[in-house]
Amino acid sequence: MNLSMFQQFFNVLKRVKSIYQDCKLLLRTNQQTIGLEIMEQMALHQESAYERLYRWLQSECRLLTTESPEISTLIGEALDGLKERQVLFKYILDEYGTARRNALVRGFIDALTRGGPGGTPRPIELSSHDPLRYVGDMLAWTHQSTASEKEYAEILLRKLKDWNELQKTIQTLLGYITEGLCRPLRVRLEQVLVSQHEPVTLYKLTNLLKFYETTIKQLLPIECQLVLVLDEVSNLSSKMFLNALNATATRLIEKVDIPTNDLNLSDELRRTLALLRDILETHSTSMIPFESKRVDFQQIVYSIIDPLLQMCSLSATKLGVIEMAVYLVNCISAIRTTLAVFAFTDEKIDMLEGQIEANTDTLIGEQATYILLRTDLLDAYRIVEKQQQESNTNVTALALKPGMDTVTLKAAMVKFDLYLASPDLYIMPQLKYLTSAVIREKIKKRSVELICAAYASLYSAIMDPKNNYANPYSIMPHTPEQIVKLLS
Amino acid sequence: MAKAYDYLFKLLLIGDSGVGKTCVLLRFCDSAFSTTFISTIGIDFKIRTIELDGRKIKLQIWDTAGQERFKTITTAYYRGAMGIMLVYDITSEKSFDNIKNWIRNIQEHASAEVERMLIGNKCDMLDKRQVTREKGENLANEYGIKFMETSAKGNINVDEAFFSLAKDIKAKIDKRAAIDPLGKPAVIKPKLDPHNKKVSTSFWSRCSLF
Repeated sequence: MNLSMFQQFFNVLKRVKSIYQDCKLLLRTNQQTIGLEIMEQMALHQESAYERLYRWLQSECRLLTTESPEISTLIGEALDGLKERQVLFKYILDEYGTARRNALVRGFIDALTRGGPGGTPRPIELSSHDPLRYVGDMLAWTHQSTASEKEYAEILLRKLKDWNELQKTIQTLLGYITEGLCRPLRVRLEQVLVSQHEPVTLYKLTNLLKFYETTIKQLLPIECQLVLVLDEVSNLSSKMFLNALNATATRLIEKVDIPTNDLNLSDELRRTLALLRDILETHSTSMIPFESKRVDFQQIVYSIIDPLLQMCSLSATKLGVIEMAVYLVNCISAIRTTLAVFAFTDEKIDMLEGQIEANTDTLIGEQATYILLRTDLLDAYRIVEKQQQESNTNVTALALKPGMDTVTLKAAMVKFDLYLASPDLYIMPQLKYLTSAVIREKIKKRSVELICAAYASLYSAIMDPKNNYANPYSIMPHTPEQIVKLLS
Repeated sequence: MAKAYDYLFKLLLIGDSGVGKTCVLLRFCDSAFSTTFISTIGIDFKIRTIELDGRKIKLQIWDTAGQERFKTITTAYYRGAMGIMLVYDITSEKSFDNIKNWIRNIQEHASAEVERMLIGNKCDMLDKRQVTREKGENLANEYGIKFMETSAKGNINVDEAFFSLAKDIKAKIDKRAAIDPLGKPAVIKPKLDPHNKKVSTSFWSRCSLF
């Protein structure tokens, strides 16, 4: 069949249509009988032509089963000619769709099991041991093939004048063609997912599936079967990932370890933080849209960090106040450090920093108390504090109170001088277990500030004449300012 | 029989992030250039039909992201490629040194038959050149592939590079078809032989309406 024969056919068809239209004029004259006869004859010829056109297109479409089909411009012309018979036109599209659908499924199975000519590229199935590559290769093949099918459909339908109609027809056709891939693809994707129990791999697969769902969605109608399958599988993957995370979290809470003597992180906590780091690294490099990333992050945090904090609190319950604070600072700092380098963590970091701050404040108070206790100034300081809180009427002079006499205070000040000489010897032993040197320094600095404030409070009380100290300067020879200078 | 195209070639652009793969593609397909750097997310493709030796060739060109984090995605597209352009930036020694890694990727993931071509992009930036033309040619010779320096910005050698790669793919296909006329590779669009009995002409041979 050549172009001139093709044009002849359409010229004759055009002539038949023209005669049919012209005969309508005869119906208005007294030549109605002949007019009707000719119209009937032309209608028969027209239907015969459309029937032949349909049969030819049908046989041509059935040949379009190679990976790259050979769609001649004549097929497009013929299809355009058939447009006036919508039923036949639709049948041809179905015929084409079926041929391409079969070709696509066969191509997919070949790519999976046979690979390229001469064995390269290798069959996709050969990488089924590597879930990310296996899933990636299948979905990339699907994406490339869908793009090519869209091309072929555009060539087939390029004669359609109405752009909106063209797009709609192409989309419907593509939806039908790619539907053939749904079953073999779904089976393999689900097979990969159910064989995975490792949260990081599941999360990587979830991101990969979401990326391809978004990418392939741009080529296909949103309600088509392939898009729905990808959506379902990526939701399944996401669900399985969260289940794996929750299982990890449940294990954490069920298996609460008593902290080790060095008040450091337990092995379980370290493992979970390493897992969290891997997940967040995957999260930060994933290709899913920004908003999805935020939602994802909240789910991860909810599933891991909250149970982690719960585990830390539970395992610290049997410890003393100081040990508990040190242990919690160590644990929460480790969680904070893990989160710090990633996006969307600000809110959670603020919350963690609040908890670190609260425990650090406990340690600052305990450290200051520890120094005052070792220098025998704690009782004196408490008496002064109590006196300051009492109303000024009927207040007993400090010098008359037990433990506040000059001899006792002088003995305490000797010990305090020893502290001033070597303040580092007066650090609580538990503080050496703090993993953060910055926090340790902060505790030292802030506890010194408290000591200076306590000294200033004692100093002003002893110097106060109403407290009846005969020679207050012999008890406290250093001014608060000098103490601040010595300790800074 | 008139056809929309005689061949469909799938090409792939690979190379480090920022070497100008997307700009080269934009220049070739849309005759445009943008100075704004927007990193490609995963993968993208454009289409252009060219004419070569009187034949229409549709090029489906896949543009990949160069960043390491997209590697899982981009390597999956090597499988379908018939031609691969390895792009480096002549103002970046690092991007040139990495070509060896990209070649290794091709060997691992692509078809053994794939045509390859080395492209040194941004050749308009002579004052910032870090990789000499000679170095590019030597590397191309080492791997037995063609080499060109291009500039998407200055529209230098961009069309020539794509046409050259398409020509090599076409030559390989035509050669294979000549050796094995029965083996019909998916990409070949042979002219229909009127004597071929398989061609459905029954309807057209009796297409008179009366």
